[in-house]
Amino acid sequence: MKKNILLLVILFIAFFLRFFQLGAIPASLTWDEVAWGYNAYSLGINGTDEFGRFLPHDYLESFGDYKPPMYAYLDVVPIKTFGLNEFATRFPSAFFGLLTVLVTYFLVKRLFYKSENAKLYGLATSLILAVSPWHIMLSRAAFEANVANFFVVCGVWLFLAAVQDRPWYLILSAASFVASMYTFNSARVVAPLLVIILGIIFLKRLLQHKKSLILAIVVGILFILPTFKFLLSPQAGLRFQEVNIFSDVSLVTTSNQEIKNDNNAWWSKIIHNRRLVYTAEYLHHYFDNLNPAFLFIKGDGNPKFSTQDVGEMYLWDLPFFVIGLVLLFKRKEGKWWVIPIWLLLGIIPAAFARETPHALRIENSLPTFQIVIAYGFVLTILYFKKYRKLITVTLLLLLFLNVLYFLHGYFANYTREYAGEWQYGYKDSLTYLKSVENNYSRIYFTDELGRPYIYYLFYNKISPSEFRKNSDINRDVFGFVHVNSVGKYYFAKDLPNKEGKSLYVNIPSMVPSNAHIQKKFYLPNGSEVLIAYTL
Amino acid sequence: MKILNFNFQLSKFKWFGLAVIIIVAAALRLWQLGAVPSSPDWDEVALGYNAYSIIHTGRDEYSAFMPVVMRSYDDYKPALYSYLSIPTIETFGLSVFSVRLPSAIFGILTVIAVYFLVKDLFKKEEISLLISGLLAISPWHIQFSRIAFESNVGLAFNVFGALFFIKGLKRPWLLFFSITSFVASAYVYQSEKVFSPLLIIALAIIFRKQLFKIPKKLIVSVILVGFVLSLPMLWYILTNKNALERAQGVSVFADQTILKEDAKRLLIDTKNHDVVGLVLDNRRLVYAKEIVANYLSHFDFNWLFISGDLARHHAPNMGLMYLWELPFLLLGLYFLLFGDFSKETKLLIFSWFLITPIPASVTTGVPHAVRALNFLPIYQVFVGLGLLCALRWIGKYGKYAKLSFVAIVFAISMFNFIYYIDQYFVQQSYYTAYDWQYGYAKAVPYIIQHENDYQRIVVSNQPPLDQSYMFFLFYLKYDPALYQSETKDASGGFRENHSFGKFEFRPIGNEKESKTLYVGRPSDFGSDIKKLETIYYPSGEGAIVIATNK
Repeated sequence: MKKNILLLVILFIAFFLRFFQLGAIPASLTWDEVAWGYNAYSLGINGTDEFGRFLPHDYLESFGDYKPPMYAYLDVVPIKTFGLNEFATRFPSAFFGLLTVLVTYFLVKRLFYKSENAKLYGLATSLILAVSPWHIMLSRAAFEANVANFFVVCGVWLFLAAVQDRPWYLILSAASFVASMYTFNSARVVAPLLVIILGIIFLKRLLQHKKSLILAIVVGILFILPTFKFLLSPQAGLRFQEVNIFSDVSLVTTSNQEIKNDNNAWWSKIIHNRRLVYTAEYLHHYFDNLNPAFLFIKGDGNPKFSTQDVGEMYLWDLPFFVIGLVLLFKRKEGKWWVIPIWLLLGIIPAAFARETPHALRIENSLPTFQIVIAYGFVLTILYFKKYRKLITVTLLLLLFLNVLYFLHGYFANYTREYAGEWQYGYKDSLTYLKSVENNYSRIYFTDELGRPYIYYLFYNKISPSEFRKNSDINRDVFGFVHVNSVGKYYFAKDLPNKEGKSLYVNIPSMVPSNAHIQKKFYLPNGSEVLIAYTL
Repeated sequence: MKILNFNFQLSKFKWFGLAVIIIVAAALRLWQLGAVPSSPDWDEVALGYNAYSIIHTGRDEYSAFMPVVMRSYDDYKPALYSYLSIPTIETFGLSVFSVRLPSAIFGILTVIAVYFLVKDLFKKEEISLLISGLLAISPWHIQFSRIAFESNVGLAFNVFGALFFIKGLKRPWLLFFSITSFVASAYVYQSEKVFSPLLIIALAIIFRKQLFKIPKKLIVSVILVGFVLSLPMLWYILTNKNALERAQGVSVFADQTILKEDAKRLLIDTKNHDVVGLVLDNRRLVYAKEIVANYLSHFDFNWLFISGDLARHHAPNMGLMYLWELPFLLLGLYFLLFGDFSKETKLLIFSWFLITPIPASVTTGVPHAVRALNFLPIYQVFVGLGLLCALRWIGKYGKYAKLSFVAIVFAISMFNFIYYIDQYFVQQSYYTAYDWQYGYAKAVPYIIQHENDYQRIVVSNQPPLDQSYMFFLFYLKYDPALYQSETKDASGGFRENHSFGKFEFRPIGNEKESKTLYVGRPSDFGSDIKKLETIYYPSGEGAIVIATNK
């Protein structure tokens, strides 16, 4: 009973940290967030995406990045309920983030099934996940990864429950894993790998429940089938090609040079084999994700995923992470081995990409880090027989201080310092344009900040059918979608210099010297971001 | 419990095994010592020439008599390494080989000392052979045994110190050797001034029970000896403000950039009356976080296994350790933690492991393979234990499983070893000649040949020709007494212009003096000058150009 209340308190904390000022912090929507919101809006109107595909199940073309479509569907109801705005766009991520905190409790109880401390481990993990800078930052923006993570956690939890005492959960588990694959690219690798490994290890238990096993397999295959063709198509691999490490030819150049330095000796061709070079490169990117500064000090170098002041985890977490890791192997409690395997699997897809470490792409490793920390924390407390309460309170107080440090940075400094990273400036400028657009025959808007058209559609709630009718869209050889104009709005990098009764919006460095400035738009830190002018 | 229950009976061949390890260690550290790495860097020539200077005049380049600390490039090097290279320079003359030889010898001695240290700690022949063997082939240890870097000798003294300490618990008079070694390490390298005292404290705490059994008089005299031996260094530090300059120069507190952002925040906090912010954006907190970050940076797998840090600190396209060692490293950590070893051994290894990054943590430019060299031989201990742990575990599955495991690990490690040897001896000079300030060995003889034709010789001191004056002193074997009288005690300094004889060391501008020989980088000269000679890097790029007025 007491534990249920504790869980409720933790959930309340998680809720508060994920929903408080959700629409205003982070300061603005990125183009991907806006795309989710607008596609959900479009789906909510007549079941088509922005480009008119009816009930797309395999992908949303969006900017040509072929997004897995789940997030947009999950966002239909929030958008219908709260309107097309920041809060509603981010709602699914925050909501499923909150649910992940809850489900994690059940997951951990299943992982340490029959351990006398199972509930304690579960509560501690939920608490640590609830206040985790990693999870909070990813829950507070429309990141589909965060929703995929929920499905993966759910999938593992249901799987464990199924092999322990609820065979029929296996079907739900299969559905959940498949759902994750409809949500986020990395999950398309992590989920099958997890299923395969869990399946192999629990094969005996699974075979005892043939009926649910067969049903689960059928459900899994049936659900994955519609998107299967797409997964094998070149479009699915398009973005992967662009970011993966194997397209880096400099490695081959180096290896060729090294062979040449050895006078083309046969043994040199073996030791400088490019497969080995790429393996080392892969490991390099893999280890990047385990870099201590990334995990505990500064976090992801991309300010969208980290305030740069706090690591993906707290410094407070570090000792317990070490203790937890060691004790996990030492005590071998329950299904302990799932945790390290899952953690390491979660990083596999991200390490193929050049930008590492990457907090978002390895989010599928969550909450294994938190489980390890919680495990270390609980066992540390239990180690002390005397003064246990005092020690617990002291440690929690220290955690509180660390959380406070993060939250203060997040709520007091983050918006001001990194608004630019969130494509800040569109909302203010588009609202202004709305009020004056009737005075001009054309409005030229720079695409220096990236994908302005989607912001125009979003903030003006342009109906998708009207967008498709009145726009000029083309697709380049790489598959990227370029929207050159919608109605009287024209989007380009280089804006024309003189043309009738036109209004221009450009970044400060591109404004010509003879411009008549109409209005300036500022970042929260006071620097100019966009300027509206006439000629 | 027996760790190794397979019957190679290593112990029967222990002297043979140790001999093989020493031969391998020596071969890897001495072969081509003067030629690989392809050139000495500025610190090596400085150590060499100052030793040469002391041999001939009793004074260093600044005319300081028998210095405890040498000013050098204002980095205030502890001077012991230079003194240690006096015998080798006396024997072989002033050359790259003779400057590097002390480091190589201490490297070999470290491998031997590690054998005995590990034997005392783990009481098992096979463990000590394995671990000293791993050190013998360690890329990290070979790297610094083959260059005149003081850090390597510092490590050796620390290992000797620990060895004599453990031995001294049974034969207390050896404690004098222990304290002497530890103090010596502080005379060799900066980091040891932090590391050695901490290690001594750790040793004293861990082995306090055994120490209490030793007569108090003896302990007191050991401490006294240590204190007396430290006096010259303490005296130097207390009387020379400059001595701390280097430490301050590289410390995190000298890094103003990290404060800038913080200062901005404090301003805003003040404006907003944000009390919490004023506390959290505190400067001390910023520094504390930086130090913790620096400490943790040494636990990065990429640093250890994939990329290393500066080019001079590792073989190209490799880390500081073999990749195959990684799984055994992790296994060994676990095995040491929970295996049936004495509590003292566990505590010693782990405290050594955790103390090592401390000196580097307060500096910038981390992780730093030189400042954290004391990680050796701890990583080898982990890897060695990991190997034995794996062997024991696989041994459960029968003799063949064990044999095939040994065969597989041997094959993979040999593969990795061959790769390393190639990277070190062949690829290194191709890729890192720039970093090793290559070229003087060929340029200086040319200049000697032609110097009589010119009134002045102007040498650039811009990167990578920084501190070119010292390379010239070194390769010219310039008379130290003459140098001291010419420069009137105002030698080098860090990146300053200076001159001796007809040599001037300064940036080369757009100038065309007659009767002047210019020595600079290819980028220093336009087409309007006559290029007499170009020294090329092994990769074929130009390194040094010797030119004169048309």
